[in-house]
Amino acid sequence: MCLPAMLVIPLLAVGLIALGSRPKVTALWASVVNCIPGCLASGGVLRSGEILFGPEPIPAREVFPAKFILGMDGLSLSMVWLTLLVTVAAIGSAQAGIKREKEYFICLLLIGLGALGAFLSVDLFYFFTFHEVALVPTFLLVGIWGQGDRAGAAWRMTVYLMLGSMVLLMGLIGLYLSLPETARSLDWRVLGETVRANPLSPGTQRILAALLLIGFGTLVSLVPFHSWAPGGYASAPAPAAMLHAGVLKKFGLYGLMRVALPMTPDGWKEIGWIVGLLLAGNILYLGLAALQQRDFRWLLGFSSAMHMGTVFLGLISGTVLGLAGALTLMVGHGLSAALGFAVAGEISRRTGTSWMQDLGGLAQRAPKLWFYLMVAAMASMGLPGLANFAGEIMIFFGAWAAHPGLVGIAAWGVVLSAVAMLRAVRAIAFGAMSPAVSAEGVADLQGIRETWPLAALSLALLLVGIVPLVVYGPAQPVLERLLTP
Amino acid sequence: MSAWFCPEILLTLAGVGLILVDTLAPEQVRRRTPLLALLAAMGILGWSLWPESRTLPTSWLSLFISDGLAAVFKPFFLFCLVAVVGMATRYRLEADEAVRGEFLALPFFPTAGLCLLVSARDFLAVFVALELVSISLYLLTAFHRTKPASLEAGIKLLVMGGLSTGFLVMGIAWLYAGAGTTEFSKLLLTQAGTGANPAVLMAAGLILAGIGFKVAAVPFHAWAPDVYEGSPTPVTAFLAVASKAAGLILLLRVFGIGAFALESMGEFFRPILLTLGIATVTLGTLAALPQRDFKRLLAYSGIAHAGFMILALGTGGEGGVGTVVAYLWAYLLASLPVLLFVNEMERLHGSTDLRHLDGIGRREPGPSLGFTLCLLSMAGLPPLVGFPVKLAVLANLWNAGERPALVVAVIMAVAGLGIYLTPIRAMYWEREADAIPARRFPPFLFWVMVMAGLLNVWLGFQPQELVRLAEKSLSPLPVLEAIRE
Repeated sequence: MCLPAMLVIPLLAVGLIALGSRPKVTALWASVVNCIPGCLASGGVLRSGEILFGPEPIPAREVFPAKFILGMDGLSLSMVWLTLLVTVAAIGSAQAGIKREKEYFICLLLIGLGALGAFLSVDLFYFFTFHEVALVPTFLLVGIWGQGDRAGAAWRMTVYLMLGSMVLLMGLIGLYLSLPETARSLDWRVLGETVRANPLSPGTQRILAALLLIGFGTLVSLVPFHSWAPGGYASAPAPAAMLHAGVLKKFGLYGLMRVALPMTPDGWKEIGWIVGLLLAGNILYLGLAALQQRDFRWLLGFSSAMHMGTVFLGLISGTVLGLAGALTLMVGHGLSAALGFAVAGEISRRTGTSWMQDLGGLAQRAPKLWFYLMVAAMASMGLPGLANFAGEIMIFFGAWAAHPGLVGIAAWGVVLSAVAMLRAVRAIAFGAMSPAVSAEGVADLQGIRETWPLAALSLALLLVGIVPLVVYGPAQPVLERLLTP
Repeated sequence: MSAWFCPEILLTLAGVGLILVDTLAPEQVRRRTPLLALLAAMGILGWSLWPESRTLPTSWLSLFISDGLAAVFKPFFLFCLVAVVGMATRYRLEADEAVRGEFLALPFFPTAGLCLLVSARDFLAVFVALELVSISLYLLTAFHRTKPASLEAGIKLLVMGGLSTGFLVMGIAWLYAGAGTTEFSKLLLTQAGTGANPAVLMAAGLILAGIGFKVAAVPFHAWAPDVYEGSPTPVTAFLAVASKAAGLILLLRVFGIGAFALESMGEFFRPILLTLGIATVTLGTLAALPQRDFKRLLAYSGIAHAGFMILALGTGGEGGVGTVVAYLWAYLLASLPVLLFVNEMERLHGSTDLRHLDGIGRREPGPSLGFTLCLLSMAGLPPLVGFPVKLAVLANLWNAGERPALVVAVIMAVAGLGIYLTPIRAMYWEREADAIPARRFPPFLFWVMVMAGLLNVWLGFQPQELVRLAEKSLSPLPVLEAIRE
């Protein structure tokens, strides 16, 4: 019962807000309370490895076999917790009293709901469906509350994500239809068993792996399908960017782990060199692009898209260590991206700008804000002790045997990321105090009320960084099963 | 006469009765005509849903058939009738107010024709039923006789409808010449096993063109936008949903499961149907994007939907037929509420221009929410009911190996999102409208729209209900039954 409860609680909050209850308080309570079923479910997973809710798959053949089954295992565990935590932080740092507050918080809750539903779904139909739930709220959030070229960013983001989703859908349809008619199912546990017993033909695997790569890749902003991401995140209001970059983007990587890796193992190996090429593009091209940015939010957008390359390296490593690293980096990146966008949102809300040349001297004026900026930057450049480092180092070790060259490129990525982040920190935090920062009314974070979302994300980063076992430990048996043919 | 004919007879009687009441009854009763009309329509709908087997008297067996398809679609048309009559009671006739009684009575006659049409098993019966529909519709389109646009629509429909009837009659004549019969089952018997006869091919081509006009398939679509825009909105709803559905069901009967789907004939027409479908989807979607009048937009979007259904039909087989059945119901559930909303908008603002939507999302949150959900369902976005049916179209195309059609369908599905996001954007993003009307939407609209939206969501999560409907429409398989006789 804990699993559907996690979906019902945000839905109830949406209803309450629509009926007139105070938006921020309701949304915040709902997302905090949602951690209770999350805890209970995690307890179940840690005890028995997997918990399920919903009808058991019926062997009889049906025209349309989608079943509303929710499930949670060691792999979805960390994704669900990432979602719960980032949702709490995003709603906590969202401004109460913003224009059209009701719709704002409803949209945020719906994005969180879509992500949770996708991570909890065992059935491919609902897996896809829940992800799309977040599409329209994102469109509205960027379009109504965004900054800069919000209309362009919203359309670009929506059309790109929709296009990616449709390619992904083609891949899923193809996967379903290429199974023998008696063995068709949309439940990925059943699918996995079927494919393990009689693998798909190499040609089919190649096509499916390519479709899934492009589909999921677009959602993850893999080069060359990335161009929606930096601008979209730069324009989105901070909580939307936190949820999208922190959580929703992980849907694509999670899907690749769940579907592409186990269902089309040979195809995935065969197109591995393409993935390698593209991820090198992500790391080098987007890394260099990040160096060129003058706007802090754009920089975060590029650096967030850039780190996806390293995760892809983990996915093609073919080792449990590499996959575990990818999972850890997914969590770490989710937390650090959310922290980064939250800080960027706070800065531009206070100073009215996110152009780095207009900022400067923030460290004197707002030391607490500076501290969290530093945490986000350090995490993003892979400082040991924070989650991203743990993930990256595991990926490098795991991928070394198969792709030493790519590991070298990824290591350069760390350097690029460090240069970009340090330059940003220098420009924003130090130097002479700029007019925007010294202007009247620019205040530091006020007390616990404004600090706690950032503090929670930082603590989580630290926890995963020091004990990455909490992320990959429960997932290890699942990852091993994904790799055994 | 057995109970089997009752929907048609009741409809005719109700129509005649309403006209009599309107002319003869005293003033106090006349004022109640709208209520009477609505009650009559609802009563007949309720009656048709009554689960009771209605066997056909043997004397009628050569003209009509009582099968799953008829059983599933008679309630469909009656449902449309209820909505259309409901809209007609609210539509502003201005100078033509004196003849509202007729405006309410007239939709009953084409509905009777449509009910006959779906159960026709002979082209003669098809022709008679279609004429009943067409003539009533000519009257209805031009009903707003003080408005030039309405008269123009009437003339256009008359000319184009006459042309399409010409094609159809010509086709029937060729068919009789080529095959010696116009009855579906006899056609099946004579055509089975023989190679395609050129005269019959010609006949089928002409019939396809005739039906193409009815469903507004490219290149027979040119009448649709002008007629939809000029007609009174309730009539637009009838044209957009009921009339289009009837054409598609006729296509199903003859090209999906009937004589024209046989062996070499089927092989001959499959590429033609697919080409037609590709052209229809592409033109409908692309032409809908720049529209600024809602009824024109719906005309083009309806063309696009017809294209998707023709594509499904072009894949042949049971899957394609079932998909069209499910698609039609999904289309009904999404587009009737949209038209209802547009009808109310027109009542307040006097036109259906998209600019009247500006800022409506804030003034009327409830109806706007339902409207948004229905639009998104038309766009085929999960988790709404439009998604599973579009998924079925794509899956059928993949299964049939029609890659070019599949690629076009996917691209158009993505581009179609733009059609429906434009009004949503107007409702939620844009600034407040300058002239806010003093009156607001009536309270009933809130409930109708919210319920319709929720129904779309529920069926999107539980598409199994639609699958059941499609299965029911195919049982007993008319082809088998016909051959057995």
